[in-house]
Amino acid sequence: MAYLTQPDYVKYICSCGQLKPITSLYFCRHCLKIRCGFCICHEVDSHYCANCLENMPSSEARLKKNRCSSCFDCPSCFHTLSTRATLAQPRQAAQDAAAGGDTKVENKQPKKMYYLSCFNCRWTSRDVGIPDQPVASGGWPERTNPFTTRMNQLLDYYKAIAQQEKQEKLERERKKFAIRGKYITLTDKTGLTGAMARNIAGLPSSDGGSSSAIANFVASQASEDVDELPEDIYTKEVNLKQITSMAQRLASPEWQPATVSRLHPLAKLLSVKRSQRCRACDHNLTKPEYNPGSIKFKIELLAYYHVPEVKVISFETIKPGEKSALLIKLTNPTGHEMQVRLLQPEDLPQPEEREEPKSIEKSLEKSLNLEKEPLPETVPDKPSGVRVPASSRVCPPSMTLSLPQRDDAAEYDDDAHHDTDDVILWRKSNKIALRLEVVTESTVASGVPANALLALEYSYRNTVPPPPTAGGTLAGTTPAPRDHTLYTTVLLDLGVVSG
Amino acid sequence: MALYEGIALIQEKQAVVLDLGTDYTKFGFTGEAAPRCIIRSEFWCTTERRFKRVYDYKTEEELYENLVHMLHRLYFRHVLVNPKERKVVVVESLLTPTLFRETLAKVLFTHYEVSGVVWADSPRLCALTLGTPVALIVSIGARDAEVAAVVHASVVLRALQSQPLAARAIHDELARLLDEDNGQELHLSDHIIEDIKVKTCFVGSRERAQQWADGEQPSPARSVQYPVAGRTAITVSGRTRELAAKPLFARDNELASLPDIVLQCIMQCPIDARRALAENILVTGGTAAMPGLKARLAHELRYLVTQPPYSSRLMVRTFKFHRAPAHDNACAWAGGALGGAADAAGTRATPRDVYARRRRLRDWVCLLDNTPPDHPHHAHQL
Ligand SMILES: [Zn+2]
Ligand SMILES: [Zn+2]
Ligand SMILES: [Zn+2]
Ligand SMILES: [Zn+2]
Repeated sequence: MAYLTQPDYVKYICSCGQLKPITSLYFCRHCLKIRCGFCICHEVDSHYCANCLENMPSSEARLKKNRCSSCFDCPSCFHTLSTRATLAQPRQAAQDAAAGGDTKVENKQPKKMYYLSCFNCRWTSRDVGIPDQPVASGGWPERTNPFTTRMNQLLDYYKAIAQQEKQEKLERERKKFAIRGKYITLTDKTGLTGAMARNIAGLPSSDGGSSSAIANFVASQASEDVDELPEDIYTKEVNLKQITSMAQRLASPEWQPATVSRLHPLAKLLSVKRSQRCRACDHNLTKPEYNPGSIKFKIELLAYYHVPEVKVISFETIKPGEKSALLIKLTNPTGHEMQVRLLQPEDLPQPEEREEPKSIEKSLEKSLNLEKEPLPETVPDKPSGVRVPASSRVCPPSMTLSLPQRDDAAEYDDDAHHDTDDVILWRKSNKIALRLEVVTESTVASGVPANALLALEYSYRNTVPPPPTAGGTLAGTTPAPRDHTLYTTVLLDLGVVSG
Repeated sequence: MALYEGIALIQEKQAVVLDLGTDYTKFGFTGEAAPRCIIRSEFWCTTERRFKRVYDYKTEEELYENLVHMLHRLYFRHVLVNPKERKVVVVESLLTPTLFRETLAKVLFTHYEVSGVVWADSPRLCALTLGTPVALIVSIGARDAEVAAVVHASVVLRALQSQPLAARAIHDELARLLDEDNGQELHLSDHIIEDIKVKTCFVGSRERAQQWADGEQPSPARSVQYPVAGRTAITVSGRTRELAAKPLFARDNELASLPDIVLQCIMQCPIDARRALAENILVTGGTAAMPGLKARLAHELRYLVTQPPYSSRLMVRTFKFHRAPAHDNACAWAGGALGGAADAAGTRATPRDVYARRRRLRDWVCLLDNTPPDHPHHAHQL
C-alpha cells in the first residue's frame, strides 16, 4: 500500500502526463506503459445491487431503469430501508368474534404484514400512507410519472413528423428536385423543424400522407391563469419539517415532491462493475469477477505489481542553496530480478514513438484513420513528457542496483542486510534503501512546496507471449520471455522549502 | 460488455440527453419523460479533496478535466451505460461560451468516443414540449434569465434577451436580508441559503411589493426559525421570505427587470408574431418553480404593458401561459428527450468522423452557419 490517509508523497508521471500515486495506476503489459484512470477506457461490465448483492443482466437492468426491485432507499435521508414485519389481526376475525364466533380457526391466525422503515431517521412507509404489504419483498405500489401520457403523445407526434420529413426527403431525392432555402439552415440545426414548420404553417406535406398521429395531435393550450400563491401564505405557520429539501426532491426526478408527506421509497440504484481497457492496444487492464460479492479480478494489471515502487523514508529539511539528505526505499514487485538505475529526468531517452507531444487533434484523426490498428494514446490531455516544475534536484548515484525478485517467504526475515556503502543503506529481500542527496538552487524562494523529480530506468521481463507476427512463430515453441528496459519518472514531495 | 446487449447491437443505442446546468445537471435517456438523475454539477476532486464545480475553471485544460470527471460520474454512477458508440443530445443555451462548447465536444468525442452529438438550444427544446408553432420561452436558471421567442421552430435571435436575474441574484438578496434580520453577518454557505430559499421563500404579490417599497408595512408573513447545526437558529422574517426574489422585478432606468426583458423580447420580434408570442408564454427553469413567481410575472407584464414605453409601442394586452409536461427544472431536458427520440436515426447529429475531419461546431453567431444555402456568397466558396 501507499499511504492510506496521508497525502501522496510519491507521484508517478503517467504516460499521459497525469501525476498519480502508484496505487491508482495501471500497467499495460502489451504497450509496456503506465496508464491511469484518465487515459484508459472505462466500460460497464455488469450491473448489481450493492445492498442485496444480486446480479442483474444488463438487459433486465435497462428494463428496470437500473433499479433493484427488492431494495429501497429512504427518501428522507437516503439510508437503506429495512423491511419490518408486524403481526396484523385480520379485520374480519375481530368482526366474527363480535358476531358470535363460529368461524374458521385459521382466520384467527394473525397475519404477517410488512412495511419499510429507516433505522437512521425513523422514516417509515406508514408515514406517507403506503399500506403494509403481505409479502416481504416487492409488491410495493409503483407510481407513474404524471407527465408520461402527455410526453408519449408528443413523442408520437414528433416521430410521425420525423418519419414524414424523411419520406419527403427521399421523394425529393428521387425526383431530383430540390426545394431549398425555404427555411434557413438554422432550422435544421436541432431537427424536426422543416416538416414541422410545413405542418404548422398549414402547407400540404408533399405526399399528403399525414398520419393520424399528426392529425390528432393537440398542441398545448395556454391559459390566462397562472398558479397563484395559496391564500394562506401570509398567515400560515411554516413547518420546516414538512417541506422537503432540494436533495429530497431531486432524488426522484419524476415526482420531485415538495412536501414530506409525498415522499415515497426510492428503489435502490444499481451499481456497476467496470472493466478497464488500454486505449492504445484495446487490451483489458482490469476485468472484475462477475460475482458481485467478490472483490477479485480476472485481469488486474496494476502498476503496483509491475513498476518498482519508490517510497520516501525521510529527508532533511530543504533549504535554498543547500544539500539535504534523502532516504528512499525501492521495491521490486515482480517475480523477476530487476536492474534499476536512477537518472536525472532529462537523461531519459525520448522513446521513439514519442516523436512529438501529441495533440488531441492528431491522435483523434489517427485513431479514426487507422480504425482498429494499434493506436497511440487517444487522450493525452497534457502533452506527454511534461516538465513538472521541481524545486530541487536529486543527485542520483551512477551505479546500477540489482533488486531480487519478490519473495513472500522472505517477508518474515527480520534482519536487514546492512551495506557499508554510503549510498545503499540496507537491503532486504526485494527492497533496497538508498541515501541520496538533494540539491536546491539558492534562487528557490522559501515557503514554496519542495519537490524533486527522479527518473528510474528498470529492467522488466515480459512474460506475455508476443502477438503472432506476419512471419509467424514456429508452432509448439514457447516464446522466450523478453526483457525490456523501461523508464518512469516520479515526483517526490519533500515538504516546504524552509527559509 | 455486449454480452446481454443483443438487441442494442442491432438497433441504434438509445441516446442520452445531457443538460449541464450551472448548478444542476440533468441526465437521462431520450424518449423518457424525466431525466434519470438531477444532480449538482460538481464532482469529488481527489487531489483537492473537495467537491469541485464543473463551472469553476480558469483554463481550457481545467475545464476539460472537470468535464471528464463530471461525465464519468454521470455515466458510471447514475445512468450506468457505456458512453462509447452512443449518441448524446446536448442541451445548451444559445449564449454558451464557445470555449465551453468546444471543450465539451472534445471531451465527448475524444475522451468518451461517443458516436455523435446533437447540439440543441434550450428555447427550441422547451417549445418542443408544447407543440405550439409559436412560443415565448422565459427560462430562469441559476445564473441568468433568458427570454427567447421561438417562431415556427426558429429562435428570433435579434430579440434574444439575457440578464443575470436568476437564482444567484435571489441568493445574494436573501443573504443580505438574513444579515439584516439577524443583525450580524452570517456568512452562510450556498447550500444553506438555497435550502432556506426552497423551504421558506416565495414571491409576494405586486401590490404588496409596492407597499413594501413605499414604506408601508403590510402585515408580514410568519417568520421562521431556521435551525443551523452548531449555532443558534436563524430568524427568517416574513419580509425576507417575501422579498428575496425582489431583484428579479426591481426596475431602474435600464429597464432590465425580468418583466421588462420579456416585453422587450416581444417588442423586438416581427409585428405579426407579437400577439401570438404574448399568448404562448412558457416560464421555466429551476428558479421558476419558486412559489408565486409565475403569478407575479404575469401580473407585472399585464401592468407594465400599459405603462410607457410599452403602452405606445406594444399593442398586446393579453398574456397567456403554458404548462409544460415536465418539472420546471427539467423542461429543456424533456424537450431534448423528445427531439432526440423522434430523430432516432440521428440525422441531426454531428458524427464523430465528421468532427474528426473538421473540428468545428456549427454556431449561430458564425456567418458560415447562418448564411442561407441559396445565398450568393456560397457560390464564391470552394
Ligand atoms: Zn494516464
Ligand atoms: Zn437489492
Ligand atoms: Zn432515513
Ligand atoms: Zn496497451
